[in-house]
Parts: sequence; structure tokens; C-alpha cells
Amino acid sequence: MKKMNANKVWTRREILRAGLAGIGAGAMPLVFSRAMAADAPASKRILVVLELSGGNDGLNTLVPYGDDAYYRHRPQIGIRPEKLRKIDDRFGFNPGMAGFERLYKDGRMAVVHGCGYAQPSFSHFTSMAYWHTGAPNSGEEFGWVGRLADAIDPQLTPNFIVNIDEMQSLAVRANGHVPVVFDDPNTFGRKGMYQTRPLLDHVGESSDDANASQRYLLDVAKSAREASQLVRDAWTRYKTPVDYGILPVDLPKVASLIAAGMPTRLYYVSYRHNAFDTHVQQPDLHQRLLTYVSDGVAGFMKDMERIGRADDVVVMVFSEFGRRVPENTSLGTDHGTANHMYLIGKNVRGGHYGTPSNLSELDEGDNLVFTTDFRRVYASVIEGWLEYRNSERLFTQRFETFPVFV
Amino acid sequence: MLQAIRSTALLLAILAGAASTAGAADGTGDLSPIGAQDWNYAKAAHLLERAGFGGTPEEVARYAAMTPEAAVRRLVRSKDVPNSLPAFDESDIHDPGLEPFPVSRPAATDRAKETGKSMGVKVKPAGNRRLQPVADKFFYWLRASRLETHRMSYWWANRMLVTERPLEEKMALFWHGHFANSEEKIRDYRKLLKQLQLFQEKGTGNFRDLMIGVAQDPAMLAFLDAGVNVKGAPNENFAREIMELFTMGVGNYTEKDIREAARAFTGWNFNDLTFVINPDRHDDSVKHVLGQSGTFDGVEVIDVILAQPVTADYLAAKIYRYFVRQEITPELRKQLGAVLRDANYELAPLLETIFLSQDFYSAAATGSRIKPPVELVVGTYRKMGLKEVPGVPDFNDVTEALGQKLFYPPTVAGWANGKSWITPGLLLTRGNFVYDIVFPDINFLPPDRYPGGDYQIAVVNDKLAQGYDVTTATKPDAKEVTSMSMQADRDEDFNTRLASYRGWQTALQKVKPIPRATAQLDLSEMVLAAGSRNTREAVDYLVARFLSVDVDSGTRQRITDFLSRELGTSELAGTETFLEEPLRLTLHLILSLPEYQLG
Repeated sequence: MKKMNANKVWTRREILRAGLAGIGAGAMPLVFSRAMAADAPASKRILVVLELSGGNDGLNTLVPYGDDAYYRHRPQIGIRPEKLRKIDDRFGFNPGMAGFERLYKDGRMAVVHGCGYAQPSFSHFTSMAYWHTGAPNSGEEFGWVGRLADAIDPQLTPNFIVNIDEMQSLAVRANGHVPVVFDDPNTFGRKGMYQTRPLLDHVGESSDDANASQRYLLDVAKSAREASQLVRDAWTRYKTPVDYGILPVDLPKVASLIAAGMPTRLYYVSYRHNAFDTHVQQPDLHQRLLTYVSDGVAGFMKDMERIGRADDVVVMVFSEFGRRVPENTSLGTDHGTANHMYLIGKNVRGGHYGTPSNLSELDEGDNLVFTTDFRRVYASVIEGWLEYRNSERLFTQRFETFPVFV
Repeated sequence: MLQAIRSTALLLAILAGAASTAGAADGTGDLSPIGAQDWNYAKAAHLLERAGFGGTPEEVARYAAMTPEAAVRRLVRSKDVPNSLPAFDESDIHDPGLEPFPVSRPAATDRAKETGKSMGVKVKPAGNRRLQPVADKFFYWLRASRLETHRMSYWWANRMLVTERPLEEKMALFWHGHFANSEEKIRDYRKLLKQLQLFQEKGTGNFRDLMIGVAQDPAMLAFLDAGVNVKGAPNENFAREIMELFTMGVGNYTEKDIREAARAFTGWNFNDLTFVINPDRHDDSVKHVLGQSGTFDGVEVIDVILAQPVTADYLAAKIYRYFVRQEITPELRKQLGAVLRDANYELAPLLETIFLSQDFYSAAATGSRIKPPVELVVGTYRKMGLKEVPGVPDFNDVTEALGQKLFYPPTVAGWANGKSWITPGLLLTRGNFVYDIVFPDINFLPPDRYPGGDYQIAVVNDKLAQGYDVTTATKPDAKEVTSMSMQADRDEDFNTRLASYRGWQTALQKVKPIPRATAQLDLSEMVLAAGSRNTREAVDYLVARFLSVDVDSGTRQRITDFLSRELGTSELAGTETFLEEPLRLTLHLILSLPEYQLG
């Protein structure tokens, strides 16, 4: 697992070691903050998408302990009722998920059941691409978050999409917007000696007859120049007393940008590297992963409350598929289909949505049959939260929405 | 004097070559070979850039002096080219007790609890923390294997840098991304070394040999959980990835094909570094795979897969997209697939066809490929004329920050190529890498010697030395306390933080250090030896030496003016004693241009 520094307090020396302290100090931040104020979009509503890569085992995340079929399919790795964090007489969260239990009981979490799509793919990469584009079995080139940004912000406000990752996610790939993509805010800046600065800042403004790759590089260079100072300043200033847990999946970085008043309305973060691909020896590992996610999200919501933005933020959690209902012979689970999605926020109407897939009526591959097209949830967020009423333009068809938002 | 004249001639050849690229007749989609009359310095540079890791002007000139057939042949059929490279100098860190290595720390300590022993280490007869030596050993090997893997990637990068057979290493790198196994899961550098040697030996040979070699390779078997794929309870992981990622691509098989193929691989496993088949666990009944039926074993299933027309198309297209460009037309895909199929999966004819084709030298294919990070880093060193990969900056840290750390691909699908290598953050990091070569950080701490923030090892180290008890010394600070780490650990079987600390300590003792020389770079010598007389010629020379695409005249002028300003003159004569730093600033500027990312 990759070492994460997200909640680490950086010492002066470490920032110096990263070679970035004081870079661009002077007039620049003022210029940026003025530009930010002018460009700030009318709505303050923010969506944070959290992806759990590798195929999270939904059945051991929110366990249907009231259904005997669950224990029949999972004699070894099924979690006994007395160990669960029960939220009602049917479901209980994994023992590691104190944070999610609290959020649900506070009425701030919507669980959407049975999310999936027809003719499911069991390939991580293919299925994830379907979720990223919101267009299963098509050759869609852009991501749903990217298309959404182009639709709700046609004036192309800089820094409208932030994607914290090593690589840009397909989900944020847009026709118009250039997403701000970075991993470590401390190193999101250009090193360079004083006298080279004017020329380094000039990077990306030349070239007349550039090829397609060249033009792409120039666009990215422009975004890098515009965003890096803002991100670094936000992260350097950000301090929080809130405990996000051990591995908070980049959510403190998101919090720092929100606290700094970035015009970003779409954030995309991921629990990376197929971490949830639990084929072998699942129980301890899976519980640990869920604890990180649960503590991280709960900490993030508390932090939003602290900075007075809890009313403006919704977190959506998903994975590219759930896992096979029967456990395998290696105390693990193989790739499956339908899964839960979670929507979390102060303006979310907590509770269950959609219909849980029937554990006694599996498909021929021993998998759950989906009951909710995952794009209904996307559409619900797009229309109900981000107030864009034409979600059918993003998905080639109209999906019925859930009344999830207050 | 004679030297200077020859150098000037070379400089002129470079500049002329760079200019002629733009005017090349367009052969997009045409696989017929280019003629000897079209062969020149620019084309040789393009070939070395793509089929290798770029070259110095001298190397490019050597290839330009050959016929195109001879140049390509030398790269593709390189087994006769003398290449005396040292074998990997392993640290003595492994012992037989470590094998088979437990799947997790709980598995290690549980085994010790039950049997009194694990990984060759016995449980203490009495006292507190009786299992501590077992936990120590577990963390020792995790750390030691990781550090040794970092040394191994230095060894490989040095091969890429100085090899006379650049395509051999480039294809090994390609296959490492294709059959992407990570030390993160395998936790044994020895298996990865063995796998890399397979790629180096067979990577330009026959794909069937390679595929069978990989399917029987301990690293791959470990990575895809072959050990749990047994008769009566097949595990699909291995069969799925063979079809989806290694041979056919998604959409060309059914879920049933995967389940059936998985049965053919049942009983395949490894014992330490050796492939074994356990006949009791192998399912030898009839399988139905891709329309064929038989009592297939794994090799026979591979042959069924290789007989599918789509397999050669898929592989040829993937190789083309790696070496030439991301876009491939259906016609070209078919044509290249046919070349591979007709050669019975011999890779050399396909590679020769690609590297000699008009298409490969067409405008669309030239200067349009975003360099993957390892190629950017090694290529930069190669073009700088370095003979050794510098220890500062750290090669593994740099490539990890750029998104391509050797032996740690992000997922089983390997690295996505093309545009995905570039984000705003990564573009800046690429420029910062150049800064760190020309102005090495004098505060550099070698990551293979200083644990840094890992598991707060530094704190444990200091507190133990101050006489704190283990519980106090290893207590996490308040910020890290969560629902998972609230266990009391005063009277206990073992302490994982202590084990992590001791694991580091023993690994530091046993794993050989990585040499930490900075880049032996002499830009003044480079530019003057090339015959540059003024700042304009120096900038032109550096641009031509390092960049594959042209830089517009405005930018060139700004950089030339910058160098003149730093030198206090536009003439180089008389500046020899203070030329180096201004040139380093200038090189940083040139290699920070977005254009430098293109090869």
C-alpha cells in the first residue's frame, strides 16, 4: 500500500526539502485571490466523489444480517450479527466502520441498494471505465464528471474540477475543462532559480503549428501554472484539529482547498491501486480498509462542520463492482456485480433507497442481480444537488432520480 | 583543431537533420520500408528514441551511417552485439527459513503460536513479547526485499543507460508493463529478478515461449494467486488476466471461457523460485475453451488462445501503440497482426516491419509520443552522456513521483500510456526532475538509509535510546489514534511498531547501500567540444541534442538572450571558467519546455 502523507504535519524543514517554501511569494497570491473572487460560480454546492478501487465487497460492508442466505453463502467470512454495528433490524455495518454508523444514525447518509448495470463486466478496468464514463458498453471518450463540468460551467471557470491522484481519472476527462490533477500539494509547484522565473512562467505560451500531443501539453502547462500556487498556499495554511484516521484518502487535501475558497465544485479522489480486490484472506484486510474510509469520511464531514461548509458539501462513495456472493475457497471473494452507493452530507435525507438485490435469486454466475442503474444515482446528484436539470443530456437517456436531498 | 572541425560538421548534421524532419513525405499507414536514400540523422535519432532510450549525437551519427536495414537489424536482432554488462550484485539477505513467506503478519504470528516457530525463528520460552523475534523477522523481510528491489531498479536503469542493445531493455520494459507484477504483493525481489531476466532473454524472441514462461513464472504465479487455484475450487484471477490483459483483450471471450480455462491451470504453483505442478490438485477432465474441447492443461489452453486470430491482432496493436502512436486504424491492426501470426509469433519480424516502415517515420508518428517517465529519466541521462545513473536525485523516488516506479506498477493492467502520463502536477514534477539533476539538493537524505516518517520509526529509535519502555516508545501520537489502534500493548505477544523498527535496522545492516554520486555533468565541455561559438549556437545545440520537436524562434530567442545576459556576452570565447552555471540554468529552461516531454 502506498504511503500517504495526507494528514501529516509538514515541518518547515520538510517543506524546504521539497524545495518550495516561498516560491512565488509576493504579488502572486493577491492576483489569484482577486481572480478567484471574480470567477466564483454562483452556487457554492460541492460534490466530492470517492472511488474505492478494486471492487469493494458491499455485502461485508453493510451486512444484510437479517437474511439467512448471507450466512449460507459465507460460512467462513460472513460477519456474525453480534459483531456488527447494526443500523436497523436488517443491516449492520462492518465492525471497523464506526464513522459510517454514526453518519447513518445522524440521518446524514443515504444508502442506495443494488446499484449496477446490465451485462456487467467483471474486469476491473472495463467496469471502472463504465462507471467513469457513465456509459457502459460504449466508446464514450469523456468522463461523466468532465461532461457535467462542461454542462454546468460552459464559461470554463479555471480550477472547477480537482482530481487528486497520480494520474488523471477518466471520470474527469472533459472536452472543455482542464481538471487540476495533483497528488502531493507540497510538491505541486515549479522549482527554479530567481532569474529563470520569467521564462519558466512563460512555458506553454509559444508554438504555432503544434501537433495534438503538443497542444495537450500546452493546455496542461497553463492549468499547472494557474492552479499550483493556489493549491500549495491552501495546503500550507490548512490546519485542523479533526482526526481523519490513519489513511484518509486525500480528503484533508480536499478540505484544505474548500477552506481556502477554491472555486472547485467537483472533487474526485480515489482509494487507489485496486486496494479492495480481496481475493484471498479477506476479513482483516477488508475491515482495515473500511476503517480507513469510514474514519476519513467521518473526519471530513466533521471538518466541513468546523469551517462552516457542511451545508455545501456532499460525498458520494462507489466502487466498480461488488463481489461474488459465495465466498471462495481462499477466505476471499471474486469479482461480482451489484453494490451499494453512499451519499453523505448534512443536506442528504438519510435512509435506504432502492431495493436490495435478492440473495436467494442470484444469476447463473452466483452474482447479485442489480436493481438500480448506477446512473440513477449520478442523475439524482446532478439534478437534486448540483441543480442541473437536464441530466439526460449527459447520459443519452433520462434516469429517474431519488429524492435524496433536503 | 581537427577535432573541432569534425565536431562542427556533426553540429551541422544535427541541425540539418532537425530541419529535414518537418519536410518528410507523409507515409502514414504505409508499412512498406523506407529507402536508403531517405535515411538520415533525424530518422536515426527517431529510431533510437523509440526503439531505445535516445542517444548522444555520436550514437545517432553511428546509426545514421548505416543503412536503415542494418540499423534496425542491429537493434532488433541484437543477440550478437557484444554487451558485457555486470549481473545484479545481490545483497545477502535471504535465508531458506523465509520460504514460503507468510501472507500477512497475523499469518506469521499465528503460525508461530501454533507451531512454536515461523520463518525459521523460534518463539521465546517465557517472558513478555514471546513472539517478538517472529514479528521482527517478518518486518525485516518486507523491508529488505523492498530495499533490494530499489537496488535492482538501479541496476536495470544502469543497463538501459549503457547497453549496446537498447531494444532488449526497452522490450523488457514493455513486457514489465504488459505482465505487470508488483513487489507490493510478491514481496520477494528474487522472483522479480527472475521475471525480469525472462523478459530480457525472451522479450524479442517468440511470444509463445514468453507467454508460457510467464505463466510458469513464480512471480506471476504468486501475483495472480495461482496457489489457491485448485481442482474443485478454481480461482479465476489467473485465467481472466491471461485472456483480458495478456493475449486477447476484453470482449473476445465469455465468462464461461474463463471458468473453464481456470480449471486447466489448476495445480500450477511454485516452490520458492521453481515452477511446480501438483498433479493431485490439477483438474484433468475435459474443458471447453473458446470453442475447443479437450483435457487441456495450461500450455494447451495458451495454444488455443494463440490460435485465435484476435490474439495476434491484439498484441501487434499494443506493440504498435507503445512504439509508434496511440491511434491505430483497423486496417493497420489487421496488417500488423498478420505479420505476427505469419511468423508464428516470432516478434522480430513484427518489430522490423514497424521500425522500417514509412508509417514509423511519417509526420504523425514523429515527435508526438509522450515519453513514459522511465524513458524520460534514462533518456535524459543518456543524452547528457552520463555513464552511470546518478544516486542524487534518487531514481526510485523520481520515477515514483512521475508515476512509473519499476517493479511497482499500479495494477495488473500496468501503466496507461500516452496522455495519462501528463497532469498539471506531473508536468511540473518533470521539470523539477531536471532541476534536481543540474542543481542537486545538498540536503539530500538517501531514502534507502533514512526511514524518514515511516511508521514513526525515527521516534521509536530515539525513545528507546532514551530508556523508555517499549509501550511508551511505540505509543502513536494523539493524531494517529483511531478505532483501529486503541489496543493496549503493555503485556503482549509482540509489538508491531517495535518489529517494524527492528526490521528496518536489520535490513539497513544487510542490504548494500546505493552509491550516491550526483550527475557527472560537464555542459561547458559538451557545448564547446561541439564547436558552439556563441550563445545562439549553444542554445541551438542543446535544443537539437535533447529535443525531438522543434522549438519556435521566439522561445529560442528568449532563451538565447537569457544565456547572453547570464554570461555578460553573447560570445563563448573567454567564458570557459564561468560558463557551467549559466548553461545549467539554460538546460533547465530548455528541458522544462512542454516540448521536451515528446519523443
